Amino acid sequence: MQQGSALFRKDCSFCHGRDAGGGESGPDLTRSKLVTADVDGDKIGPVVRNGRPDKGMPPFDRSDQQIASLAAFIHTQLNKALASAAGGRGSGGRKGVDVSDLQTGNAEAGKRYFEGAGGCATCHSPTGDLAGLASRYSGLELEEQMLYPRHAKRKISVTLASGQTITGIVAYLDEFTVGLIDSAASYRSWRTRDVQYKVDPALNAHVEQFPKYTDADIHNLMAFLQTLR
Amino acid sequence: MNFARHAFLIAVSAFLALASSHTLLAQGADQQMLLHPPADSWPGYHGDYSGRRHSPLSQITPQNVGTLALAWAFQTNQTAPIKSSPLLVDGILYFTVPENIWALDARSGHQVWHYNKPTSQGEHIGNRGVGMYKGYLFFLAPDAHLVSLNAKNGTVRWSVEVADVTKGYWTSMAPLVVGNHVLVGVSGDFDNLSGYIRSIDPETGATQWQWNTTPPSGTPNQTTGGMTWMPGTYDPDLNLVYWGTGNPTPVLNGSTRPGDDLYTCSIVALNPDTGKLVWSFQVSPHDTHDWDAVETPVQVDGDFHGEPKKMLMQSSRNGYFFVLDRTNGKNLLTAPFGPVNWTLGVDAQGRPIPNPAKEPAPDGRLIAPDEGGMTNFRSPSFDTKNGLFIVDAHPSWSVYFAKPADGVYGWAGADYDVWGKGVIEAIDYQTGKIRWSHELGPESGAGVLTTDSGLTFTGDGMGNFLALDSSDGKTLWHAGSGSHIVSSPITYELDGRQYVLTSSGGVLFAWALPQPQ
Repeated sequence: MQQGSALFRKDCSFCHGRDAGGGESGPDLTRSKLVTADVDGDKIGPVVRNGRPDKGMPPFDRSDQQIASLAAFIHTQLNKALASAAGGRGSGGRKGVDVSDLQTGNAEAGKRYFEGAGGCATCHSPTGDLAGLASRYSGLELEEQMLYPRHAKRKISVTLASGQTITGIVAYLDEFTVGLIDSAASYRSWRTRDVQYKVDPALNAHVEQFPKYTDADIHNLMAFLQTLR
Repeated sequence: MNFARHAFLIAVSAFLALASSHTLLAQGADQQMLLHPPADSWPGYHGDYSGRRHSPLSQITPQNVGTLALAWAFQTNQTAPIKSSPLLVDGILYFTVPENIWALDARSGHQVWHYNKPTSQGEHIGNRGVGMYKGYLFFLAPDAHLVSLNAKNGTVRWSVEVADVTKGYWTSMAPLVVGNHVLVGVSGDFDNLSGYIRSIDPETGATQWQWNTTPPSGTPNQTTGGMTWMPGTYDPDLNLVYWGTGNPTPVLNGSTRPGDDLYTCSIVALNPDTGKLVWSFQVSPHDTHDWDAVETPVQVDGDFHGEPKKMLMQSSRNGYFFVLDRTNGKNLLTAPFGPVNWTLGVDAQGRPIPNPAKEPAPDGRLIAPDEGGMTNFRSPSFDTKNGLFIVDAHPSWSVYFAKPADGVYGWAGADYDVWGKGVIEAIDYQTGKIRWSHELGPESGAGVLTTDSGLTFTGDGMGNFLALDSSDGKTLWHAGSGSHIVSSPITYELDGRQYVLTSSGGVLFAWALPQPQ
């Protein structure tokens, strides 16, 4: 544990916070589903060793014993966070958000916003894609999904010089290369200069909404979405 | 002339030639080099003292950059990503990651020496590089010690503590050498501590002066914080050092620190000989969003609305681009360079007015930009040819929370990024208007270097090194690096060949035009 604490401080704390509660660029590990599901480093270990290159986390070459001590430290922090959730923590690290913090909105007003000014109903339906939403997500996670579902799969269609069109899910995209997972679950890629491609713009509506929201709109929408059980 | 005399003269001239080249090698980064860096040097974090990260070198051009090829690469074999800007002095490159310094032959990239100071103390978030005075290097270790080494072989001359690591300080910045002063800053954000700039004697390690950003911890109704994370710039004519200061603490809760919280989130001008404050300009009064103002204060001399001015420019983390008169700190321009929603406008002095309704709250406030800010440590560049301030921007949105139970110590709240993207923006400094922009994808890109030949070197969020046309932002060259890029490029000329140095992950890459083998 002592070693885990020192290792964490050295390699992890700037991104994940000194007490694992989240930091400048890394998520709050005390609220991570992966950490909750981890037993003796079986989930944490692979993430540490492989990194998360897509999110900017580098891999760390650590021994089994080091992984075990790191995992023990992170679990201790998780327990501390759970124990003090009601009373606040004594340290100077980052804090968290509880479900009870996100209950200031008005569900009726949220419903009106959903159907009207918010434009949500253009793409979403409380009885369709969002049915049972509040059973799948709660609290901060629900609010983050609502504002921008960053893990949503993006559809893409690529038209080759031959005129053939291939559709799939975006797997990689930069200025030079476009890659997708096609209907046969295969990865395929092209130079962007050789093809025409179009990413489904549906998610852009979330980005366009940011400057239009008032904070009350967000709290009301949250209240409404929490009724979708 | 008899043979003996002739031979003697040849011997003398050979000796003189040897002596002069030896003197050249032994000089290190002397005053003359720091003030006027030759083409075959990069003697400070920003290259020269201006912070413009603009090079007069023009061998690599928009016409030939498409053929740019790898000259060499150096692998640190470490997981810590390279965040430093290498120094180049007398043909040797010096660069760092936390706890480590390497000296490399700039011609081949092979290691001359390696220094390692293992410590488990202090945050190991990154290291910006070393400073150099004559033949001595100065390195800040995570345990808040300034280590001085002999540049020749990496042996330690002395090590002095510059802050108390047990209180929550650590160090990560690249020291700025001005005259016989080694200027160091401190890091820390999770404790209510005062930031400062300290001047240290390069010969002895003794403290010459210290300028405190904020009153001592525990002063009623006063802020702490104002960390000095990044090296400043220096104007030798005005004899002023310009430095950006960090955010106040507690970070997200401003209730115990009413008012502006001077001198946090400010650009300050100090006399390097005395440490006395000459002027200050606060870019974020009463910050509650962690938007430190440590981004490079860039010096530009030129026309502003028809008048010649000595200007200072900063693209600040809070989303605003500032132009100041650097003789007195008076504001010339304040303009957002991306979405900002946390102000009620700009006051008569050119400072954004924070909107109290956008302070972090128990049920959350939607804020633009996010905590990482509209830009961050990534160096901008001023392209003197096109008059453009070129910065890696990060338009972004986030939610900020703070409640009484979060207390008033350290972070004192929570914040979550919602969405962001990376864009290289070329800002017209006379108006703040964006002349061109180059989209980089969903992540922030890299620092920026510009050259007189009209090139902008940077990187995207996917790990591609990029060369853009400085006049319109079009891509002229790229190379995938295989990892995230969290550094700013440099350039130099050696043996008549121009090199561009970039890094990603734990690898340093040197690029040059192909040459006959």
